[in-house]
Formats: sequence, C-alpha cells, structure tokens
Amino acid sequence: MANRIGVYVCHCGTNIAGKVDVETVATYASGLKNVAVARDYKFMCSDPGQETIIRDIRKLGLTRVVVASCSPRLHEKTFQNACLRAGLNPFLFQMTCIREHCSWVIEDRDEATKKAEHLVAAAVNRVNHHQELYSRKEKVHPDVMVVGAGIAGIQAALDISKAGFNVHLVERGPSIGGHMAQFDKTFPTLDCAACISTPKMVAVSQERRINLLTYSEVEKVTGFVGNYTVTVKRKPRYVNENLCTGCGLCMEKCPKKVPSEFDEGIGKRKAIYRNSPQSVPNKPVIDVENCTFFRKGKCRVCEKNCPSGAIDFTQQETELVLDVGSIILATGFDTLDPTPLITYGFGRYPEVYTGLQFERINNAVGPTGGKIVMKNGKAPDSVAIVHCVGSRDVNHHPYCSRVCCMYALKYDHLIKDKIGHHVKVYNFYIDMRCFGKGYEEFYRRVQEEGVTFVRGRPAEITDQAKTPQEEGKLVVVCEDTLLGRTLRVPVDMVVLCTAMEPRKDTAQVARVFGVSQGTDKFFLEEHPKLGPVSTATDGIFLAGACQGPKDIPDAVSHAAGAACQALAMAARGEVTISPTTSWINPDICVGCRICVGLCPYSAIEFDERRHIAVVNEAMCKGCGSCAGYCPSGAAQIRHFTEKAVFAEIEGLLDPLHRIIPAAVVDDLWSSKMKQEA
Amino acid sequence: MDRTETDFEPTIVAMVCNWCTYTAADLAGTARMIQSPNVRLIRMMCTGMVDPKYVIKALLSGADAVLISGCHPGDCHYINGNYKARRRVKLLQEILPRFGIEQERLKLTWIGASDGNEFAATINELTKRIKELGPSAAKSTMVI
Amino acid sequence: MATTAKIIVNDADPALAVREVLRKLLADQAIAAILVQRHTPGGGAVMPALIVDPELLNEADPLAPAFPLNSARLLGRLTRGQSQGMIAAVMRPCEIRAFVELAKLNQGSLDNVLLIGIDCPGAFTNRDYHAYCAAYGAQQVSREFLKAYLPGGVQVPEVEGAMPLARACRACEHPVAQAADCMIGLFGADPGKLITLVSQTAKGQAVISRMGLPEVETGTADNRISALSVAVTDRVRYRDAMFKETQAATDSLEKLGEYLSGCVNCYNCRVACPVCYCRECVFVTDVFDHDPWQFMSWAKKKGALKLPSDTLFFHLTRLAHMSTACIGCGQCSNACPNDVPVMELFRMTAAGVQDVFTYQAGRSPEEPPPLSVFQEHEFAEVTGHME
Repeated sequence: MANRIGVYVCHCGTNIAGKVDVETVATYASGLKNVAVARDYKFMCSDPGQETIIRDIRKLGLTRVVVASCSPRLHEKTFQNACLRAGLNPFLFQMTCIREHCSWVIEDRDEATKKAEHLVAAAVNRVNHHQELYSRKEKVHPDVMVVGAGIAGIQAALDISKAGFNVHLVERGPSIGGHMAQFDKTFPTLDCAACISTPKMVAVSQERRINLLTYSEVEKVTGFVGNYTVTVKRKPRYVNENLCTGCGLCMEKCPKKVPSEFDEGIGKRKAIYRNSPQSVPNKPVIDVENCTFFRKGKCRVCEKNCPSGAIDFTQQETELVLDVGSIILATGFDTLDPTPLITYGFGRYPEVYTGLQFERINNAVGPTGGKIVMKNGKAPDSVAIVHCVGSRDVNHHPYCSRVCCMYALKYDHLIKDKIGHHVKVYNFYIDMRCFGKGYEEFYRRVQEEGVTFVRGRPAEITDQAKTPQEEGKLVVVCEDTLLGRTLRVPVDMVVLCTAMEPRKDTAQVARVFGVSQGTDKFFLEEHPKLGPVSTATDGIFLAGACQGPKDIPDAVSHAAGAACQALAMAARGEVTISPTTSWINPDICVGCRICVGLCPYSAIEFDERRHIAVVNEAMCKGCGSCAGYCPSGAAQIRHFTEKAVFAEIEGLLDPLHRIIPAAVVDDLWSSKMKQEA
Repeated sequence: MDRTETDFEPTIVAMVCNWCTYTAADLAGTARMIQSPNVRLIRMMCTGMVDPKYVIKALLSGADAVLISGCHPGDCHYINGNYKARRRVKLLQEILPRFGIEQERLKLTWIGASDGNEFAATINELTKRIKELGPSAAKSTMVI
Repeated sequence: MATTAKIIVNDADPALAVREVLRKLLADQAIAAILVQRHTPGGGAVMPALIVDPELLNEADPLAPAFPLNSARLLGRLTRGQSQGMIAAVMRPCEIRAFVELAKLNQGSLDNVLLIGIDCPGAFTNRDYHAYCAAYGAQQVSREFLKAYLPGGVQVPEVEGAMPLARACRACEHPVAQAADCMIGLFGADPGKLITLVSQTAKGQAVISRMGLPEVETGTADNRISALSVAVTDRVRYRDAMFKETQAATDSLEKLGEYLSGCVNCYNCRVACPVCYCRECVFVTDVFDHDPWQFMSWAKKKGALKLPSDTLFFHLTRLAHMSTACIGCGQCSNACPNDVPVMELFRMTAAGVQDVFTYQAGRSPEEPPPLSVFQEHEFAEVTGHME
C-alpha cells in the first residue's frame, strides 16, 4: 500500500517565513507523490505544532512524517518523540533543514523558496524508504572515569562520589590540584587558593569511592557509551606509596637540584620531589631524567635516608584495565610561552615574568616565601602588567582568555597591599572585561587604590634608556590609545598576562577518546549553547578549561554539570543505543571479508560456517565503512540504505509528482475527515 | 544549449558528514553567512559511508557536481572513515573524467565542525567554478 | 634459483608431452586432482574438467586455443573451506591472475592448489574457435595452432592468412603469470620438439624435483625470456593503440552512450567476469527495481529515456567496483551477445586505475586490493593538499 506522508513546513516565526515562501512550499509539497497532507505553521516545535502532527497521524492515518524547519541537530528528537506519542515509529520521520541551510543563508526569496522545495521533495522521497527501527537498551556500568585532577576534575569526582557512585580519577602529574594549586589568592574575593582547594584535595584522598590514580595516563579507550574499557598506564614513582609517610627526609638529602616546574622555573626542586607540602598524595616521586642513580648508576642517598624503606628503584610501569560507563575529560590548559613574542623580552630580561611565575612569587610556599621581590631580593618600586599576551591576537590566539583582566587586577591589589601604596602599578590593556559576579566591583576597588590603567597594547619592552630616569629600568613603549600619544613607562618589573591555550597534546588525547577539537583547538562541545558539557561521542563529557578558557567558578560549574550528566547515565542504569547500525544481508554477502578489515571498531565477525560476515550490533557505531565498500550492497546502514539515499538524491534533482491531481486526493480526505468528525 | 555563465544555475549535491561538515553548515547558517543557493546537502553519518554508486547516481541524475565533505584527517568521529572516502574519491576521479565528466565535478574536502566560514566559502567557490564549467553532459543524455 | 626442466616433445605434438607431465603429476602422492581444460566428448568444445583418473587425461588439452570461460571462479569453488587435497590447476596466466584476486577476496584459497601456468600465445574468440573447429576438427586446430602462432619458437601475433586472436589476448602484456607455482614454457623453443617446465615458487620447485625431469641445456631459458620480451613489446604496442582508440570513442558521456548502444542490460559481461565476485550484483537487487512512476518521471525530465535504463550507471559502477581487480582476460567481450567492446573499456580504465594505486591485479597474493586499505598520508591532491 502506498505511503501516506504528512509534510509540515515551519515558519520559525520570521526566521524561515521571512525568506522562504512557506505557503508555496507547503502547496508544492502537497503535490508530491504519496503526500497526504502538507501544512505550514508558525512554530512546528511548539506544543500546538507537535499536536497538529499527532492529530494528523491519528486522524489521517499518516504512515510517514516530514518536517521542514531548523537543523535536525536541534529538533529531530522533538519531532521523533511527537511521532512516537502518536504511535508512529520515530524512524518513519525525516527532517530537513530549511533554516540554517536555506532561509538564513540565501539572499533571494525565490531562490530560497526553490531550494526549500527541493529539500522537502528529497525528504519526502527518502522517507518513503524508511523502515521501522527500534532502539536498543544497554546497561550502563555505574563507575565513572574523570581524567585530570585539577579543580574541575576534583569537583566532578567529588560530586559523583557524593551521589554514591565510584570514580576513577586519573591524573598525569604526581599530585593533584592542577593550576589552582599554584595560585596564591583568587579574584575577586582574595581568599587564598590553597585554603579553598586543599580541603577538596584532601577530600579526594579520603573519599573511599574515589580511586585516585596519580602519575597515570589513559592509553586506550574501547567500547561504547555505558560500557567503556579504559587502559591506564601507571608510571613508576619509585616510592612505595604504602610505606612512604611523606616525612620529606629524602627530598632534604637529595643532592640533585633542578628548576621546579611547579614554581614555573623560578624556584628549584630536587630529583626526588613533590610539588608542595600540601601535595595530595603527599608522597614524593623520583624524576628519572635527573636522578643521579638513574643517570649514573650510583647515589641512592634517598634510599639510605628513608626511615620507612619506601624507596624502590625496581618499580616498573604497570597497566590497569578499568570498566566505566562514562568518562569526563578535565585535562585543563597550558599557558602560552611568551618567548616567541620577542619584543616583550621574556627570557632576555630577568625582570619580565609570566602571570603564573608572578603567582608563585606571591605564594607563601613559593620560591620567595610570598614576598614580591626582584631577582636582586629588593621589592620593585614600579610594576607593569601587560594584558592580552597572545590572547585577542590574530598572530597567536584570536580568542579572549577570560581570566587575565581579573588576575591582573588581583596582582594590582596584591602589589599595593604587600609592598606598599607608593609602588606604581601600570596596567596595559585593550579592554577591561570584568563580567563576573563581583568582578566589576573589584575593578572599581583597585582603581580606587591608585593603579594606573593605560589603554594600549605595548609595542616593546626595552632596557635601552633614553633619559636618566629610564636608566637601569625596563621601559614599556606603548601608544595610549585614549590620549593618542606614545608613552615610555620605566618600571622595575613586568608581568605578562599570557594566554590560556589548549594542552600541547590535545590532538593526541582527542584521538584516544574519540572527541573533536574546535578551531581554537580546545575540545569541542556538542553544542556551543545547549550542549556545553557533552561531546559528539556519547558518554564522554568535558569539564573545565579543556573546553575553553575558564576562571575557577566557571570551571567548577562546568565540572558540576559534567558530573550531573555522567550521574544521570549511571543512575538510570541504561542507555538507549541508536538502531542505525550496519546490517549485512546473509543472502547477498559473499564473504569477501573486506568489511571485516575496514571496520574501525572490530564490529564485524566472520562466520566461517556460513562463509559470511556478521555485524555485532553492540559494537557497531553505524559509520558505514563497510557499506561504503560492499559492491553487492549486502552491507547497509539502517536508515541510510541505498534505496533511501538514491531516493533522496533523486528528490533533490527530479522531484516526483503524483499522477492523480492533488485536488482529487484532498477531496477524498476532507470527506473522510468529515466522517470521522 | 546556451552554456553562458550568467544564465546557468548549477545543481550541486553535497554528501556531508553529520559530525563535521553538517555542523559547520549549521554554524554558517547561524552566523548568516550568505551562500549560493545551488548546493543541497545530504546528511550522512560519515564520508566513509559514501558509496561510489551514490556519486555516479547523482551525476547521472543531473547533478552538475558532487561535493563530499567530512572531518579533517585525524578528526573523524569514526576514527578513519575520511581516509576511506579519500581512496574512493581518488578512484572515481580516475574513472569519471575519461568519459567526459570533468574531475572538478567531484570534490572532496575536509570542513571541521567549527569551520562555518570555510563551509560558506567552499560552497560559493564550488558554485562559481561549476558555473564557469557549464552544465554537466549527463543532463542532456537520454542514456542513464 | 628457478629450475627450468626439459620436456621432450614426441611426434611434434606438445599436447601429448603436456599430458605425460600431467600424468606424472597425478601419480604424485601430493596431488589429488588436476583441473585442466579438456575436449568435450564429440569434440565440439573445450571445457575445464576436474580429473582424478589418469586415463581420462587423454582428452586434456591445455594448449587448445580456446577460452570459453575463465576458470578462476571454478577453482575458487574447489578450494573454499576444508581441503579436499591438493589440486594442480593448469591455467592460462589471466586465469591464474584472476584466481589470485579472488583469493584476496576470500573466494578461494591458494593453500591447497598448485598453479601451473602456460606461456600464453593467446586464444581465439569463442565464435572464431567454433568456426575453426567446424572446418578442421578440434584436435587438428590444437596441433596447427602453435605452428602458426609460435613459428620457429618465436611468437608472431599475426601470421598472414591466419585468423586473428581475440583482441584481449593480442593486447595482453602478461603471457606469464608471476604468481604461478610453475609455468609450462612454450616461448623461445620449437614446441614441436621441446617445451619446458619452469619453477617460480618453492612449491613449484619441489614438485618439479619430485618428477625428476632433466634440466634444460644452457641458453634455452634465455631464449624463452627474450622471446617473451619480444612478444610483450609487441602486445604493449597493440594495447596502447587499443587504449587510444577506445579513449577516442568514449571520451564523452554521449560517445560512451553510443559505444554501449548495443547493451541490453543482460549483465552477461558481469556473469562472465572472473573477478566480479558478488553473489548477487547490486543491479539485480531491489535497489534497481524501479517503480513505473520513476521511469515516467525520468522520461519526462529528459524527453526520452533509453530503455532498459541504468546502462551507463551499470557500466560506470562496474568500473568503479572491478577496475582495480580487472586482469584483462576479455571474457566480458566474449560473453556479450551484441558485441559491445566491453573488454576495451575495462582494460583502458583498469590500466589507469591500477596505475593510480600502484597496483597490478593478480600480480601477487601479498598486495591488498586498493580499496581494502588506506593510509593516513596519501593522495593529498584529492583534497587540494588540505590537512
């Protein structure tokens, strides 16, 4: 029996109707083969819009539905659910996009209308060949993995454990806390970073539902939503964590000193080290690259001095295989290395610091014990703070790093507060962006403290004095764009507010987890507005600055959101898996096995007895690598069958009109409706 | 047939992957990037599912060109579907031009999810190029 | 190092000598059966036969210049699944190359098969062979064939007055199959007196040494190689001219339509094709089972629709599916009821396609079919060197 298709053309207010003549499109659709009814409506996604579809399915006996509106990425589910409510299998529905791909991008009204007609014709043509499909339910493994234990990862892990689920928290570094552990104070409240983050770090170590895996990296992820298997590589610490008491004697005695990464290179650490006395876990780790024993075969001073016999040079890398239902990526950010911006003199002038270095100088357990001093031990009399170093800069990162304005203000305050009000502090900014809660108020407070704000990006920082006042100083050369005048500002110290950027190995990590990167190379969220924590891969979520620059409150909220998504899956205990997988017709398959080799998920097995390939639907993700090859068409993706695609192509190129005039059919149906009414 | 550039409006069928190029097309739309109306999208899950038959079908059914567009190398949502697509396109680009279907009528490109600009630019450039090339010979043959 | 063994030909009948070799082979414990073409009772045709009884080798004639079908697919059927013992398959090089392609597609196995190739002087078209046999008798044709086509031991493609060979054979640059375990050498010597058996693999080497055949005198092997090279040069010349001619005849869709105008969509070409391996061609599935209104709509759009439809679609798709695997045997043309020169079209396209993928169909079982693999960095020109 012929299909009875309902076509619904959405106005989307004026978003579509403003450019596409929706009535014409609906009339045109009503003349297409197998179309029983075609309507246009102001907002198809609204309740009355959906009700219309439901009523038509019931009253007119529709067997297929086409909606022409916005992108199916927005509302496909909405309309599929409407079909389902009316008792129609949701896969007997097709959506075509006449907004993003049509009304919004075509200037000419007639052309937009014509394109909309073709898109509708293609959808109508295609939907004829849709088949009823049923989603599969799969159990969800209740455990969650969080990758990265900065403040975002910590927050996510704590939230999940609080809900009663187990978390594997994997951290690449020897201890947790991330960048936040490096900070001294936090804006705008000026509470100390350690005071607010250490309790959380300790809570992580004490929560029995959190399996903390530091000094570990994820090697491989297999499986699918709800059922991921993750291989974690555990690097050897060379310190037995069970025996070590964290007394620190080994570090004290270790003869080898190297620049500390945690102190951003301005302080030193030993070859056996931990980041700070508050480190979690509070156990040191031996840095093989620098350890005298590992390099030269003798020393073992730490071993001799360890009172608990915890040093173990024989430790080997181990591998851990974990089953989890979902994964939260909280891998954080890197800060831009300002060395290539040679005009700013970083690395050349000792008194030019990055923001993070200045953070360490301020930190009570940092290399200067929290005193703001220059390399010569004296406090500076004047400091320049340069905003947007590598941010909002087409040569580096076009985006705004979102935190620099605020931490610059924090530095302004700290300098005045710690050294004294006589210190001259200059901010060189492009725009001040103080958008958060309490931020603008903090900006005002700092202005009142007598800090100088110069609107302009410095052209150069130089030690070439032109006047006696500039002797022995660093001179910031900048055009004050408000005054339209070039300034030369001599200072003792310069702080560069360097951009937040994606981790160097983001691409590699993206591959391991099967997520994408955006243009800015941060991980790409599923939708910029409505799906900021999910990714295109089901069951993999994003938390914190790995998705884009964020300050602490944003990172924490983002992480809580990700935790909530993971919890929703874990608590429900099952996920719906799309039925649009591959299917290999056993009557047609000739058993060439090429598809077995092409399948990226090893989802195709070869049945030796029947000499055919068979799809394991639990593992198939419906990519169509097999169908794209199979010359006989034995392998096909459900919902993307050759018949359906051919029909769609034909619809785009030669719309098929029905033979019986539309008016006759309309009469037939209006009389039927009258009967029913 | 008059094949002047001005009055010929090509029809171009684009088979694009759901994760990258279709998303980029949405983004270009949201950002109101004006595009030639000649290109019609078919949403595929991956360029790796584009069967060479689909391309031949579209060209013989009167498409003046076929665009296949997916994720950048390394970004494929399905790991490596785009590499498989590249081989298949290479094959077709070797076969079809022998029979007068110009190589430019089959274009493969990578457009990432966030490349809205790139999408709009690709559409406009391809349309311009196909306008210059004129209508596909397949349109006028009664043998399909 | 390859062995070249000597086979003395008595009564100026090389077929007799080959039969003797096959009899010896069948006596070998390791060989369970021989697949070889054989005159059918009554002498009307030659067809492959699976022979286990040495007595029945009398009618075997691998040198008959007939090529009714490419037996690669038959051998595929015989070698699938559990082994029934080693089969020695005596085949033309194109059959061996087709079989290698099928083995890659899991349509046969090289494990329990001994591939014996024959230096291939070519064959007549089915029609010409039948005409020849009717006039002279099948046995006589076989005897005279090599004299005419390998005079003085050096192959000459066209002897004055002789009927031309099938075009596929004349354009075939592979008179030897690289993947064969051994080759029966005809080139470079007088096959009325001497033929050779040349090993090409360890398996072939072992069989030859078990048969205890004597080695040839120095010079014979070299003669064969130079005779082959002369033949190949000649055929390549013919092939290139054929490509040029075909190219000129098909370089637009309109011309391709004319070229294929005799096509009635019988799909015989694909049935005869040894490498078209699908159980069911997609063109006979419901995907191409169009509805009446579809035909009507296409006719409306074009003003007229050539029927049966999908002729260009079929041939272009078959080119896309099989040109990587085409071994150029020409059975497609042999099978065409309306003399559409399908072979020329396929050979020309396949040459280009295989070149692009630096692939040669049937050359080696180790080479994966081009579309079954891919690399991260390749064919950057396809996307305009975009990363």
